[in-house]
Amino acid sequence: MKIVELNIKNYRVFRDARLREVPDLCVLVGANGSGKSTLFDVFSFLKDALTLNVTKAFMRRGGFSEVVTRDSKGPIEIEVKFRESGGRLATYSLQISSDNGKGIVEREILKFRRGQRGQPWHFLNFSRGSGFAIVNEEDYGDPHAEPKREEQALESPDILAIKGLGQFQRFRIVSEFRRLIENWHISDFHIQDARPSAEEGLAEHLSSRGENLSLVAQYLHDYHPEVFGEILERMKSRVPGIQTVDAKPTEDGRILLRFQDGAFKDPFIARYVSDGTIKMFAYLVLLFDPTPFPLLAVEEPENQLYPVLLGELCEEFRAYAERGGQVFVSTHSPDFLNAVRLEEIYWLSKNNGITEISKASSNERLKRLVDEGDLPGVLWNQGLFEGADPQI
Amino acid sequence: MKIVFLLEERSMKITLEGVLPRLIPGVDFQCIPHAGKQDLEASIPRKLHAWREPGIRFVIVHDQDSSDCKKLKKKLIELCKEGGRADSVVRIICHELEAWFLGDLIAVEKAFGKKGLSKNRKRKRFRNPDSLANPFQELKKMIPEYQKLSGARKIAPLLDLETPGAHSLAVFLNKIREIVISNPRQ
Repeated sequence: MKIVELNIKNYRVFRDARLREVPDLCVLVGANGSGKSTLFDVFSFLKDALTLNVTKAFMRRGGFSEVVTRDSKGPIEIEVKFRESGGRLATYSLQISSDNGKGIVEREILKFRRGQRGQPWHFLNFSRGSGFAIVNEEDYGDPHAEPKREEQALESPDILAIKGLGQFQRFRIVSEFRRLIENWHISDFHIQDARPSAEEGLAEHLSSRGENLSLVAQYLHDYHPEVFGEILERMKSRVPGIQTVDAKPTEDGRILLRFQDGAFKDPFIARYVSDGTIKMFAYLVLLFDPTPFPLLAVEEPENQLYPVLLGELCEEFRAYAERGGQVFVSTHSPDFLNAVRLEEIYWLSKNNGITEISKASSNERLKRLVDEGDLPGVLWNQGLFEGADPQI
Repeated sequence: MKIVFLLEERSMKITLEGVLPRLIPGVDFQCIPHAGKQDLEASIPRKLHAWREPGIRFVIVHDQDSSDCKKLKKKLIELCKEGGRADSVVRIICHELEAWFLGDLIAVEKAFGKKGLSKNRKRKRFRNPDSLANPFQELKKMIPEYQKLSGARKIAPLLDLETPGAHSLAVFLNKIREIVISNPRQ
């Protein structure tokens, strides 16, 4: 299941923005403040609205008036086009507003794309807490089939229907979409959080800030030794001196991450290892996850890393996407971008407070320049992604 | 028409962006900085090949380094031919960008608010700044806070384009005027 298009209206800097033909690895560039993080936040907002409710999703962001585009009354519209596991294109669209501080779902629809046989079926069609769902989804595509509707009421107008209905297996496509959004994961790795030991326990996935790094390392070491071996091999070739990394339980029931440098007898505990070493190890642990997140976002992975390593890191992001996840990366690094394909790059440009999203491979000149042998990061540095540079 | 300037580095881009709107008002231009000479040379045929806009003219701007000026120009013209655009203009300009600034100490004085600096302009060395061995060091001596990028940003918009002090700047400006005159608006 993959996202193919995202349309956003009236969400912060995005008055009317479109991310088209989204690839498995989607790399965003743009000046500071152009909206890269806000684009990620659209997914986080959806996740908050789904797992909590729309009112709380607004509250976490300072209220509706902070989220809606300046000078706009709304509603905020988010439309996600995705290919469901059966291979068909589906569209989820959401219109939300606010009434006296409470979030309101004005409209929530999940449908297959128009243009296939007959009218597209609206699997979900809800407004302000009530609406209907189609219960015979398996009949879709049969020319004689009629949709069977079932009226439903939600507990409150700020609850998403995909939350209420997505838990039922009979609404297959609804629950599939719900799982996708629920599993949106931003890696906002903080080295200071990952350094200390973690309390003993089990962790299969690296957390957003990375504070469970030592637990995940231990998990991979114990349950996926071949994956752990691969991570070690890559560490050895990228960080001079590193021989092995292990996670050791301490007497007080904690797990300590240790790095062994070939030149020294005793291993270094994570606290004394360089930022770049920890970061590289954390990315490898994240990217070699045996069960990848379906939607992963990473902000500026280049920080603290040696530029030459970024090409391979980029390939690892792509490999992760090819194993089933979809990866969104924001970057300010030409070296990273040099390893990215033009059709994987989008750039954000801000004009009068409003951001537009451009797809690099839709620009004929950039395409020809890459055909001539120029690398994307170089072209970006040369100012050929028009509007991407800050206007200084 | 549109003129695309292929440049060695960013300070020249900043300088031209401070000069061109006054020199050729209304003419569309784009400045593409590179990461030094080798990067520029590798880029020339690619850019010339890939650019398909009608009415486009390319200007290659290269510093005069220690190598033989004529040989260098010949090499750059070859690269333009390789890119399929023999009509490109190649300019080997000056030893260092700062020579242009030293030739206009009135602009430097205004840019940095250093009263009295411009009285040095009568001195022989500043009447022919192109012959200075190390213009950057000279400028830094006068303006200790001078930095390449922010300095160009301050000085370039103030450069006198009618009576430029540096001979190499005068020649360069005339060449650009010529290109615009010989290419009627399309």
